Amino acid sequence: MRWEVFRQEKKKDYHVHVGDVHAPNAEMAKQYAQVMHARRKPANSLWVVPKESIETVEADDHDVAMGGLTQREYRWATNYNTGEMAEEIQESEAEQVEAERERKKAAGDQ
Amino acid sequence: MAPLDIATVKARAGPREFGPGDDMPEEYRRAATRMIQFHANSEIMGAYIERPYIRQAPSLDRKLAVSAQVQDEIGHGQLLYRAAENLGIKTREQMLDELANGEGKFLNCFHYPINSWYELPMIMFFVDGAAMRRQATLKRTSWEPYAHAIDKICFEEGFHIKHGEDILREIASGSSHDRELLQEAFEKWWPRILQFFGPTNDQSVHGGFAMDVGLKTMTNDDLRTAFLNAYLPKAEKYGLEIPDTPHVEYDAEADRYEVAEEDLDWEEFGEVARNEDPTGAEQINKRHRRQAAVEWVREAIVDDSPGVGTTSAAAD
Amino acid sequence: MAEMLDPAALSADDARAVVAELETLADDEFVMAERYIDWQVRGPTLEADLAIANIAQDEYGHARLWYDLLEDFGRTESELIWERPHDEFHHTTMAELAFERGDWADCVLRSYLYDHSERLRLEALEETTYPRIADRVGKVVGEEHYHRDHAENWLERLSEKPRPNEAHTRLQDALDRLYPHALTMFEPTEHEEQIVESGIRPVPLADLREDWLAITTPFLEGLGLTVPVPDLPESGVRGRDGTHTDDWRGLYNEFTYTYEMLDRDPAKLMVDPDEAGV
Repeated sequence: MRWEVFRQEKKKDYHVHVGDVHAPNAEMAKQYAQVMHARRKPANSLWVVPKESIETVEADDHDVAMGGLTQREYRWATNYNTGEMAEEIQESEAEQVEAERERKKAAGDQ
Repeated sequence: MAPLDIATVKARAGPREFGPGDDMPEEYRRAATRMIQFHANSEIMGAYIERPYIRQAPSLDRKLAVSAQVQDEIGHGQLLYRAAENLGIKTREQMLDELANGEGKFLNCFHYPINSWYELPMIMFFVDGAAMRRQATLKRTSWEPYAHAIDKICFEEGFHIKHGEDILREIASGSSHDRELLQEAFEKWWPRILQFFGPTNDQSVHGGFAMDVGLKTMTNDDLRTAFLNAYLPKAEKYGLEIPDTPHVEYDAEADRYEVAEEDLDWEEFGEVARNEDPTGAEQINKRHRRQAAVEWVREAIVDDSPGVGTTSAAAD
Repeated sequence: MAEMLDPAALSADDARAVVAELETLADDEFVMAERYIDWQVRGPTLEADLAIANIAQDEYGHARLWYDLLEDFGRTESELIWERPHDEFHHTTMAELAFERGDWADCVLRSYLYDHSERLRLEALEETTYPRIADRVGKVVGEEHYHRDHAENWLERLSEKPRPNEAHTRLQDALDRLYPHALTMFEPTEHEEQIVESGIRPVPLADLREDWLAITTPFLEGLGLTVPVPDLPESGVRGRDGTHTDDWRGLYNEFTYTYEMLDRDPAKLMVDPDEAGV
């Protein structure tokens, strides 16, 4: 059976996908994951998940509209023109501007 | 949605450009599978010829290091087979079967057994050094999962070459008998090491396409030159004499080493590459017997409850 | 608990007892590791290969911890491992046994039998009066957990299918073959009394043996195996007294081969032709 392995570097980090192990059951998958994916750089925690348990949604699938297709400006800070703003609001807007820039870049590349 | 066409692939070819989300044309997927499979097979067969030297190691430090290196190489094989599987052409089980039954291709150097401790640094320093040189360039390969695996491999591999160099250094500062045998080992392996990167006039069957689609990023010739630039001085440092043939000469103007191609046996290389050379065939067979001997284990742990996984019987 | 011993001021008897205990500990780990590395690149799956390599490296590491303490008594690591005569090694004969190609059942069963004895022994050593051993036991115990889990997982997995089946037959064969040798793990050296009295290992081997039987017998029977009568090897080899099987001689010759070969000048090894009898 194939198990996808996810690593958490330090406490409170998210677990990140790092590869897989082939193992007959969860016990062995956990044992193998430690040696295959954490023997050099010990992780704080590892998840092993049977590959077939993972459900996927792909942006390319024909009936998927990841994030929505119709206009969504209402949820972007840049949509609102209200003059001066507190520092933390400025930060949030800057992040959204950056995200939008990334999104356009990725869309342009396709 | 149709797969990308080859022209687009060639136009876009660049470091880590393509991944599992891209619908790659079959020619690309086959070329990438071939390359990665060759690499994975080489890790396994390299590990296979080194493994007797865990027992042979003359100190606990060396035992641990050789065991760890062999372990790393199997781990690299695992990562690479996985990267190749993403291309949808072959499963890991199929590639392992092909390796066992003689269809799987791998690096020329690993077709020959290592006969003594004196020969070990030829593999662990020179050959692994050459492999590392190639791997460094593969960080820019166009198939992202391959590049990702390479990152991890490069992270682990540094110690392999340094350890290999340490073994070389130790033998080179041993008795005159040791140094004599070391030189003999070097002369035996030197032609094979020079041929490591393959034919340098790039008459290799698949080289052109792999370059065009960004899978391969450096020519065989350039790789060999870079390798010689780094490793010839090292050989000299440890008192090794570069044999007269195959003739290697430093061209100061071009700042590169010229190898007399006619001194290299490309016929034998070809046979070895096709797994037709008897020595290599014997290595493959020996490993095949070992793999066959544990087939019962793989069968014993197959989960045959209904509705579980559709991978082949060799899945564990 | 008995009074702590002072490593710098051991009586001659205590020194011999400490050496005896350390040698059996170290030799066990080293020889177990040697047979584990036989499995590298030959494991049933890539992952199994990595796991066994990990266990092997742990065992070499443990051996080193104990050989290190033996260095206090005058010999270097090289001398202890590569220059000690083969009949002065005191490991359990189970560790040295060769195995048939592909016999993964032997690997995991051997590991299981050993790892449980190891755990019991280390637990006893947690109460040692020899402080240097006390300092190191924790490290070894920590890693051995993985080894036991690994062996048990495999044994359970190999015993799941309806019988008769090949895996079960192989496990039974391995058990029959290994068991008498496993019992040599509990054979005393001539210093056993001193070891226990001085508290170097406060629990006698005979007690450890009983505990081991109590743990392993039900587990193995639960897998559908028939546990042999606990008799020592018929051939009379006992391991702890330096008597070993032929497999040990072969293994010893192999791992000393390169060491012997390196840094020698043939001129020194060869008889001066003028003085040869010919």
